[in-house]
Amino acid sequence: MAKRGLRIIVVGAGKVGDTLVNRLADEGHNLVIIDKNEERLTQLANLCDCMCISGNGASHETLEEAGITETDLFIAVTESDELNLLCCTIARQFNRKLSTIARVRNPDYISEVNYLRSKLGIEMIINPEYEAAVEASRLLFLPAAISVNSFAHGQAELVKIQIPEGNVLDGKTIAYLGQNITNDILIAGVERGSDFTIPNGSFELKSGDVISYISTRKSNFNFLKSIGFNTRSVRSSLIVGGGTCAYYLADLLIKSGIDVTIVEKDNARCEKLCDLLPKATILKGDGTNEALLEEAGIHDVDSVVALTGLDEENIMLALHTKAVSNAKAITKINKITFTEAIESLNLGSVVYPKYITAERIISTARSRQAKIGSNLEVMYSLFADRAEACEFKVKEVSRVTGVMLKDLNLKPGLIISFISRDGKIIIPTGSDQINVGDNVMVVTMNKGFTELTDILR
Amino acid sequence: MKIRLQIYILGKVMAIEGLLMLLPVICGLIYGELRNSVIYALFAIFYIAIGILISFKKPEKVTIYLKDGCIATALSWIVLSVCGCLPFIVTGEIPEFTNALFETVSGFTTTGASILTNVEAMSHISLMWRSLTHWIGGMGVLVFLLAVVPMSGGSNMNLMKAESPGPSVGKFVPKVRTTAKALYLIYLALTVIEIIVLFAAGMPLFDSICSAFGTAGTGGFGIRNDSFASYAPHIQWIVAVFMIMFGVNFNFYYLLVAKQPGKAMKLSEVKVYLAIILISTVTITINVMSVMGGSAEAARHAFFQVATVITTTGFATADFDKWPALSKFIMVVLMFVGACAGSTGGGIKVSRFQIRAKTIAREINSYINPRSVKKVQIDGKAIDPELERSVSVYFFVFLLIFTASAAIVSLEGHDLVTTFTSVAATINNIGPGLSMVGPTSNYAFLNGLSKWVLIFDMLAGRLELFPLIIFLTPMAYKGAFKGIHAKKQN
Repeated sequence: MAKRGLRIIVVGAGKVGDTLVNRLADEGHNLVIIDKNEERLTQLANLCDCMCISGNGASHETLEEAGITETDLFIAVTESDELNLLCCTIARQFNRKLSTIARVRNPDYISEVNYLRSKLGIEMIINPEYEAAVEASRLLFLPAAISVNSFAHGQAELVKIQIPEGNVLDGKTIAYLGQNITNDILIAGVERGSDFTIPNGSFELKSGDVISYISTRKSNFNFLKSIGFNTRSVRSSLIVGGGTCAYYLADLLIKSGIDVTIVEKDNARCEKLCDLLPKATILKGDGTNEALLEEAGIHDVDSVVALTGLDEENIMLALHTKAVSNAKAITKINKITFTEAIESLNLGSVVYPKYITAERIISTARSRQAKIGSNLEVMYSLFADRAEACEFKVKEVSRVTGVMLKDLNLKPGLIISFISRDGKIIIPTGSDQINVGDNVMVVTMNKGFTELTDILR
Repeated sequence: MKIRLQIYILGKVMAIEGLLMLLPVICGLIYGELRNSVIYALFAIFYIAIGILISFKKPEKVTIYLKDGCIATALSWIVLSVCGCLPFIVTGEIPEFTNALFETVSGFTTTGASILTNVEAMSHISLMWRSLTHWIGGMGVLVFLLAVVPMSGGSNMNLMKAESPGPSVGKFVPKVRTTAKALYLIYLALTVIEIIVLFAAGMPLFDSICSAFGTAGTGGFGIRNDSFASYAPHIQWIVAVFMIMFGVNFNFYYLLVAKQPGKAMKLSEVKVYLAIILISTVTITINVMSVMGGSAEAARHAFFQVATVITTTGFATADFDKWPALSKFIMVVLMFVGACAGSTGGGIKVSRFQIRAKTIAREINSYINPRSVKKVQIDGKAIDPELERSVSVYFFVFLLIFTASAAIVSLEGHDLVTTFTSVAATINNIGPGLSMVGPTSNYAFLNGLSKWVLIFDMLAGRLELFPLIIFLTPMAYKGAFKGIHAKKQN
């Protein structure tokens, strides 16, 4: 299954750049990294199969040295929005067919995404702060879940929950679940301790298991109700840290009628937030001050979202929330990578903007790599990177179309979790089939799928 | 330390050595040397089998840190040399272990120092294997490994760094594997061109192949007792030119192939290297005119000898031991200068001298203008202070090893020139020195201890000192065995 790696230039070796470069290199692409900071480049070059060029990514000469004319994909993820946009614009001057991706976080530009895309020819504008806010908001609408990822333009969801002590699911097999509780959901993965499995019908669930399942939004509510989970959205939220992500989140929550309180240290930022979010309560003060949190009502709110710039502070806030109240806690982690330690802390839900960004960009890279037959639309990495959920758009007839699923010779460790047809979500059984025009979602432990036919042996 | 990984790499190295050993076997069969062919073939099959067996299980994706790269490199080269010397012993052509190992290490490190008193008595198969070791060692076996074996993970660069000559190792293209492939393709293409040119110039095919291997790796094993002296003058010119070509930084060829000749012409190291050759050749020509037949012959011998020494090849057409003092002195200086970084040649490398010279100039400048801020630049790019530091350390460590080795060799009681140049010629991977180890002599007369010291020097010189030193540093193995158990309990 050797595919030609793309030639990719990444400008900016920061947090996102680093994650991205490592993931892209693992997928076999030819990477050139441009950054001004030589020390960061050296670190990266020692551990990653890529070529590093020190220089300004918006400079004609540097881009030429990086081989811009033969490049397939250009990604600008420096700290500065303006530099990213400039890099992409200049890169396009060399090569009209080049796909460019820019990271842009400033809300001023985000409202003009369509303009930027059409006039500057930037294929994708990625906004980690906004994406993180969307992910956090999904969790606040469904606080029972540990994580919620959306597919098929929000029609299907991949929901992760933990089975509590004494739940009806404890000791039941997957087959029993299908026959007696609901047939509208499909369990795509089960984590038990550090083990991860894609379960079959005879798999027996236990309390403490973390299960991930696919469903439509409606059947999800029914399922959660039937197993005794609370499905109501939070009514109030306390956001600590008033950065860009907090603004996006507050905006989304207020639009859904949720009460929002934001705690922010900086006076000027507080005033700015007041202008932007007239309906929110803005408190000026240090979010790590216990008395202030009490005053802000940490005991009474339904949810606390830690969005400060410091990961350590966010983690402490989440732990504090868990200790003093029953509120749903969401933690944003920007930088640190101690995944095992973070998982063992029982923080509840964690949002990683850099992973979200990397996943979006990687799914674009894979789509570029794939042949015409199908297209990777969305990709999420699941279960601490042990599996991936990929949504493909089926564009033409291939070996997987028109055949009953039970007759397909699939690779092991893989599950076809839904088919989206004419705006309807089908949770498939063995007698369903894939047609041209469908969107198909696959959960797989084999990583690196670029097209739907990759699911076959 | 990752023991699994080390074993995997060793296995692959052995298998590659076994495969390459089949080439002399073919040659032996052509020349009807049945007994030796069988011996070589058995060794080849044995190495391939063992190699495949111990590298059967691919280690899980691990990060190769620089330390691991250094240890893997040193270990590979030692195993490579020991495995490579066994056929010499079994065929009875070099019956003693120390001698056989000396000859093989000399081959792989592209030194070309021989302990054989009568090369022409060797079988064709052994001569071919001897020359082939030069070719393998020239570009490096781990670079070959990286080019042919798909290895996961991005840290393979640390393997290449440990093996490739030069103060800093760059890539032409983003991927290590593509870079390694490009290097070997250029290397192979140049070698094939040389074989064809030599053959067309009237050299027998066997001689052409062996000479090309020796030139390509900048090795220097001759297949005649008088090295190159008895070949026609035009063949000597051809070989001299090819030696110089293999001493050029391979970046130069890559840039030419990549259609960027402008950039290739700007490589200052290549310019300095060619300038040194030109100046030395002219000076020596004038200097030796009186002892040679005529100016044409003087020029030819001067050019050939300069080429052979600066590229650290070690072929010879004239006994420069009998030249005037100035010429001898220049030859000894050239031994230390060596070829370009990123070539197959040895020595200290032109670029290290460039960096050193510029640092000295900056130091002098800082006395005159104490407040001036200046960075050392090569090819218009500022040199990383880390690199500057490592070059300084390199010089000093080189001096230390050199002095210690010379001290041990001097225990034998030969004259100072012999002692000094025997170490210089081995640590710089040249081959012939002066006096008793001059171009017409060999290393057979040295005792066992001296030979082992020189074996160490050859390896240290080829691997650029540090990999071998790290290999011998106990600290590098801290927790090597503990690590496995601790992880399993988790």
